[in-house]
Amino acid sequence: MTLSSRRPASRQPTAVPEEHATNGQRNSISLGPNDRLVGELYIEGDLRVSGTVEGNLEATGDIEIAGGGKVNGDVTAYNRLTVDSDASLIAGDVRVARLTVADGATFSGKVSMGKPAKKAPERTAAPAPEPIPEPVVEPVAVAVEPAPVAAAEPVAVNPAKTIRPAPNKKSFQKGKRR
Amino acid sequence: MDVQEATAEGAASADNGEVKRDGKKQFSMGPQDVLEGKLIYDGSVHADGRLEGEVRVTGNIDVANGAQVKALLEGSNVTLKGNVEGMVTARDKLTLGRNARLSGDIQVRRLQIDDGATLNGNVRMGDFEQQASGQ
Repeated sequence: MTLSSRRPASRQPTAVPEEHATNGQRNSISLGPNDRLVGELYIEGDLRVSGTVEGNLEATGDIEIAGGGKVNGDVTAYNRLTVDSDASLIAGDVRVARLTVADGATFSGKVSMGKPAKKAPERTAAPAPEPIPEPVVEPVAVAVEPAPVAAAEPVAVNPAKTIRPAPNKKSFQKGKRR
Repeated sequence: MDVQEATAEGAASADNGEVKRDGKKQFSMGPQDVLEGKLIYDGSVHADGRLEGEVRVTGNIDVANGAQVKALLEGSNVTLKGNVEGMVTARDKLTLGRNARLSGDIQVRRLQIDDGATLNGNVRMGDFEQQASGQ
């Protein structure tokens, strides 16, 4: 009984009130001055760092680096990032909606603010794989066509891409003629 | 609307600016002023209105609320309250006010960003490679 009841419980997501973004009962993690995190952290809620973090942080709420906290890694805060005067953030990418940096803070990295910044890279990354499946499909269609052409063209994948549709259409036209 | 085509270098004459009582020169623009070009100035600049090009000063630069700036800015203390597009170098401190919008890479020794400011760009803090070219 105890084992079976424990396992499902551990699999359940952290109990976060649905309205956690607006009411005062947000889920939050605080790393004290002697705490250290190496790796990656995603939290649905807020994060306060007074210790040392080596790795990437992502929070759906606020991230505050304060009290001598040091973060070395990418930081994503869906809401606000605060870097206090005695804190340090050395990042590759900083993606936040709001940003406050106090005088005296150590801060470096590529800062992106605003909503489109987060989804844009995913969309740009998506078109890259697309050209790959096309050549895979084409040899099947080309198999009807003369084989030598199929053997020569797949080497030049991208340049031939725009030219490709025409031969395919021709092959269909030939099919109609038959 | 005044259009000032200024390329003042070194010990520039104070034609385009004002001389403050404490002896430090200040080049001051109003909200209707337009400056296009390159300004190298031994003093401070108060930018307002529209500014395009390049501004390198030995003193401070402050960009007023509502100003439209598309320029490379370099100064000791740089305070932005308006809209700025371009690289910003602050030999001492860069301050982004709550209404500031900055798109561009920045190189600073100290940095303060007030809540409400918008920044898109690469932040470098520390040593200056390009300091020599500005003076």
